Amino acid sequence: MRLDDYIEGLEPDESARRRQLAAEKSYAITEYLEDFQSRFEETVQGDSLYGATAPSIFVGRTNYPNVSTGLLSPVADGDPTDFVTDGQWYQQGLGVGDVVERRTGLLNSRRRANVNVEDVWDGFVGVQREVAIAGDPVDVEIGLDGTLDLDLDVGEGVATPTGPSASATSVDLTENPHVPRPVKKTLEDDDWQAQGAMTYLYRRGLDVYDINRVLSAGALGQGENRRLVPTRWSITAVDDTIGQYLRGQLRHAPSVDSVEVRMNEYMGNRFWVVLAPGQWEFELVEMKAPGSVWNPDPTGDIWMGSASEGYEGRTGYVDETAGAYYASRLGVLEHLADRGRQAKCLVLREVSDDYWAPVGVWQVRESVRNAFDGTPWHSVEEDAVDDSLAGEHGEAETFHGAVRTIAQRLPVSDERLRRKSDLVAGVQRSLGDF
Amino acid sequence: MFKAIVSAETLKTTLDSVSVLVDECKVHLDEDGIEIRAVDPANVGMVDLRLSAEAFESYEADGGVIGVNLSRLEDIAGMADSGQLVELELDEETRKLHIQIDGLEYTLALIDPDSIRQEPDIPDLDLSAEVVIEGKDINRAVKASDMVSDHIALGVDASDELFYVDAEGDTDDVHLELTTEQLIDLQAGDARSLFSLDYLKDMNKAIPADAEVTLELGEEFPLKIKFPIAEGQGSVLFVLAPRIQSD
Repeated sequence: MRLDDYIEGLEPDESARRRQLAAEKSYAITEYLEDFQSRFEETVQGDSLYGATAPSIFVGRTNYPNVSTGLLSPVADGDPTDFVTDGQWYQQGLGVGDVVERRTGLLNSRRRANVNVEDVWDGFVGVQREVAIAGDPVDVEIGLDGTLDLDLDVGEGVATPTGPSASATSVDLTENPHVPRPVKKTLEDDDWQAQGAMTYLYRRGLDVYDINRVLSAGALGQGENRRLVPTRWSITAVDDTIGQYLRGQLRHAPSVDSVEVRMNEYMGNRFWVVLAPGQWEFELVEMKAPGSVWNPDPTGDIWMGSASEGYEGRTGYVDETAGAYYASRLGVLEHLADRGRQAKCLVLREVSDDYWAPVGVWQVRESVRNAFDGTPWHSVEEDAVDDSLAGEHGEAETFHGAVRTIAQRLPVSDERLRRKSDLVAGVQRSLGDF
Repeated sequence: MFKAIVSAETLKTTLDSVSVLVDECKVHLDEDGIEIRAVDPANVGMVDLRLSAEAFESYEADGGVIGVNLSRLEDIAGMADSGQLVELELDEETRKLHIQIDGLEYTLALIDPDSIRQEPDIPDLDLSAEVVIEGKDINRAVKASDMVSDHIALGVDASDELFYVDAEGDTDDVHLELTTEQLIDLQAGDARSLFSLDYLKDMNKAIPADAEVTLELGEEFPLKIKFPIAEGQGSVLFVLAPRIQSD
């Protein structure tokens, strides 16, 4: 059954359409959601959510600077750390359905707040910030106004599909959060610019997921600049900042010696990563199949988007590929920084119609990271036969030779790929090569 | 020792040709004129500029080298109207450049030349085709190509004796052909190379519309762009590395 059979003549809005898509692809989700209301009522006693454990926070971006800001706490049983978005989700082999289930299992207890939070450490926002800078999930007690907005919102593609939400009337910590030492240091130093502080946290071993939470809560940067950062913006800001730092490290590094091709497949997304000798250059080309998220017209053409940068980086924002650009670039740069090499890098992302709900850019980041040194993903949903090259690589004589071979397996013509991609059209040579 | 008077226009043209590629550069103050050579941090675009003593109203120098922050100096030069003269004098003691424009005095701190990136050698290239073309035709080609693509192919068809420009975008194309009648001169040899428009756009900014511009081209080889400035008393050479399709 096709999507338009389902909703013919209805002219639904985008979010309704995606919800229908979700229903079509996995009935388990809708059943799960129907079940949710009752579970919610069990957990909520009176108008309080006792003994909840909040592993994470959410800051909305609509109506900035008066944003909706919330504590995310799991309503379902289980380890609260399982509900924290990070690289573990890839390692555990979660599928699209699992992610939507986990995300929608998080209750967003929200309040409206102004983003200026320089010295705000009490009240709702204060508790929220403490949760964000803590190293582990924190026990809290949340008072709710009772009405639950049970809306499976899968519209926020870069961030997350979000679960139900309710207005919070009060919130109290019921334990002292443990704050990791490097986070304490960046928190206390209010003369430290956010970019430098992010880089410091990264060097001290925090992953981008942790740094994102700290940044989002407005706990980094020079005092007067500290404010809540909408989750969606902060994810990209952290990917970009850490990426720039790593790229800077590689400015004078030697190049890789040969053309290397890697492939990884995760959640209906296939990534080809080609590294070639030469100075740093990076491009992400996305091909989204009709019927996948962001290209919902099932009869349409494959949607293509691309963005690239040269040796000195780029100045403008990446309109076509958005956060996926910075997430994939980070994955590549981490690998190159490990090896102490620079390279020209082309990432091709093929999105099939199996990718029916946006799970967030972490999926892009982890797929690219694991294309280099991770394990191939084995779906827990199905016994997918995996011909992924994750963790290993093939070699090719030339960059364009490698691209030609890959292009045979891509859903677009060579011509379309060349027209869309700067690197496929031609890789930049330097004067020293002549 | 360096002391010179130059028209604001000549000074601005000179600085613009270099600042499209680098933020700071070394300036050689030779007896018979100045020379600037610089390459961008990515090593993709290079400039070699000469301005002879005759381009100045007055000129005295004895072969020193100074390091200059180009955007600073451009800002100062921007204070002068096009008819005005700019006086430049180097203070050897303080290593500062004194600049005077109609009573306005500006003292510019210089950069230690040793801390500026080493000057490149001009690559010795054997280029098969040479095109002499008006500056405005380059501008036309670059501007149109930029509407559809990030890169541009420049080529010479030896058998048809013409110079051509191709740009391919996602959906749209630009093509321009100029025959020997439309060109000032053509020494035909088969040539075609692809270039980044980011660079070519910047270089194009420095090319005067009425200048006779000499382009030297090869097969997937760097491009040389040569044109006179300051009424023929100076010259600019740009060298731009190509984007390569064959490897």
